[in-house]
Amino acid sequence: MANIVVLGAGVAGHTAAAYLQKGLNKKEHKITVISPTPTYQWIPSNIWVGVGRMTPEEIKFDLRPLYNKWGIEFIQAKAQSFYPEGDEHINTGFVEVEYTNEENKGEKIKIAYDYLINATGPKLNFEATEGLIPGNGNIASVCTFGHASHAWELFQEKLDKMKNGENQIFVIGTGHPTATCQGAAFEYILNVDFEIKRRGLEKQAQVIWITNEYELGDFGMGGAFIPKGGFISNTKLFAESYFVERNITWIKRAGVKKLDDHTIYYENLDGEYLEQPYDFAMLIPGFAGHGFKAYDKTGKDISDKLFAPNGLMKVDADYTPKPFEEWTIKDWPETYQNPSYHNIFAPGIAFAPPHSISKPMTSKNGTPIFASAPRTGMPSGIMGKVTADNIINWIKTGNATMIHKASMGRMGAACIVSAGYGMRKGTAATMTVSPVVPDWEKFPQWGRDIKTTMGEPGLAGHWLKWLMHYMFLYKAKGLPFWWMIPE
Amino acid sequence: MENRLIITKYSEQYYPPTPNNFTLFLRRSIFFQLIRFFILNYKIMKIVIKGHS
Repeated sequence: MANIVVLGAGVAGHTAAAYLQKGLNKKEHKITVISPTPTYQWIPSNIWVGVGRMTPEEIKFDLRPLYNKWGIEFIQAKAQSFYPEGDEHINTGFVEVEYTNEENKGEKIKIAYDYLINATGPKLNFEATEGLIPGNGNIASVCTFGHASHAWELFQEKLDKMKNGENQIFVIGTGHPTATCQGAAFEYILNVDFEIKRRGLEKQAQVIWITNEYELGDFGMGGAFIPKGGFISNTKLFAESYFVERNITWIKRAGVKKLDDHTIYYENLDGEYLEQPYDFAMLIPGFAGHGFKAYDKTGKDISDKLFAPNGLMKVDADYTPKPFEEWTIKDWPETYQNPSYHNIFAPGIAFAPPHSISKPMTSKNGTPIFASAPRTGMPSGIMGKVTADNIINWIKTGNATMIHKASMGRMGAACIVSAGYGMRKGTAATMTVSPVVPDWEKFPQWGRDIKTTMGEPGLAGHWLKWLMHYMFLYKAKGLPFWWMIPE
Repeated sequence: MENRLIITKYSEQYYPPTPNNFTLFLRRSIFFQLIRFFILNYKIMKIVIKGHS
C-alpha cells in the first residue's frame, strides 16, 4: 500500500489529487489532501469578483464532499515542518501540520507519507512592502476570493464618490520591486476601467498602471513577439496600444517600496525616489515560500536541502548561478522532483524557479527591479498531472524513472486577458505563447514558435474566458468525464 | 483617436498605435467574432495538445 500526501488544494495540488485517485486503486492506496481551507477557488475569475461581475460563491466550492466521494482523506490544516527521513520514533518521512479548522485549531499532528506532493503555492508576501495591507484604507487585492470581494466593496465606494462629482485616482499594478503575476493586475486595471466607462464616470477617473516591468507587456516572461497586421511586434506595443486606446497612463521600471493612505512611494531603475498619489490601489505583492523548516532523522535543520533561499522548494532545475546571456531552457525543471529526496515533488508555484525569465535589472542604488517568473493556471495544472502520472507509474511498476515530463521551456500556455465583462460588449485578448520560457536555441529569431504565438483582442476572447470559467470549474468538481477536459 | 488630443505630446503615451474604427468594429462584430471564436479555440487546442504530449 502506498500512502500519498498532497499539501495544497489549488490548481496543481487538486489536479494531482484528482489524477491520483483516478489512476490508483483506493482500496490499496491512501491519498490525503491537506489544505488550510476546504474550498477550491478558480483564481482567474477573481478579477470579476473584484469588479462585482461575479460573487465569491460563483468561483469556489467545498472540496470535502468531492474528496469523500473520491475516497480521498481531507485534513484542514497548514504544513509547518518537513521530516523527509522521519525521526527517532517514526521511520518514514512525515510532515508536521497544524489544524486550521474550528474544532482543532492550533493542534499539531504528524502525517506520514511514502510520496509527498508539495503544492502549497506562494506565500502572498504583503509584509515585504511597508503599508501594503489589503483591506487597509484604500488598498485592495484580488489574490484570493476574499480579497477580491473586499476590492469590489472598496471600488463601489469610489464609484459612489465619482457619481457625486469627486475625482479619483486608481493605481493598479505590482506592489513589490520583484513581484510577478502582472497578467492578473493587467486584467484588473482593464476591468476597472471598463466598469468606470460603463457608468459614464471616466471624467472623474484617472487610471494609472504601475509596474516593475522594464517595458509594458513583459508579463514576467520577457515579453513575446506576435504576428499581427503584416508585422511581427513585441507585446510592449500590444500592451501600450491597449492602454492608449483606453486613456490609461503608466509608470514602468518602478519598485514600490511603501504605501500610506494616499501615496505610493517607489524607486525607479534610474535610482529616483518618487511618489504617486492614489485613492484606490490594487498592487500585486511579492511571492515567497511559506518559511517551512526541514529536519533530518537526528533533528538537524536541513531546510537548505529542501528549499531555496526564497523559501520555495528545490526541484530538478539547474540552480547554478549564471549570467542572463547563458540561461537556457535546460535550466528549467521537467519532473518537479526534489533532488535530495526523490519521493518529494513540488509542482505549481511551490517550486523554486532556477532564475527569472525576464532579464534581472538593478537600480542605480542597487535595488533589484524586475518581474519574477510567473506560473499561471495552465502550466500549474500540467505540472500537477505530470507529477501524479509519475507517482502512479512508480507505484504500479516499482520503477522510479520519471517518464512524464513537463518543462516550461517546452510547454506552451494560453492566457485570456479579460478587458471587460459582457456577452455583447465584453472584450478580452486571447494570448498564446509556446514555449513559456523562450528557447533561443530552437527559435533564434523570436525565442518562441511564431506560428503558435498570438495575441488577439475582441469579443470572442470574452466568450472564451467565460467558457473556461465554467469548463474548469466543471473539471475541478469532478463531474462526469472531467478528465476529458485538458489542463 | 480623441484620446491622442489629451495626451501630452512627446510623452510615452503619444507613440503607440491605436485601432481605427474598422478594427474596433471587427472586435465587436458578433458575426466576425463568432468565426474568430472557433479559430481561437483551434489555436488554443494546438497549444494544449502539445503541452500534454
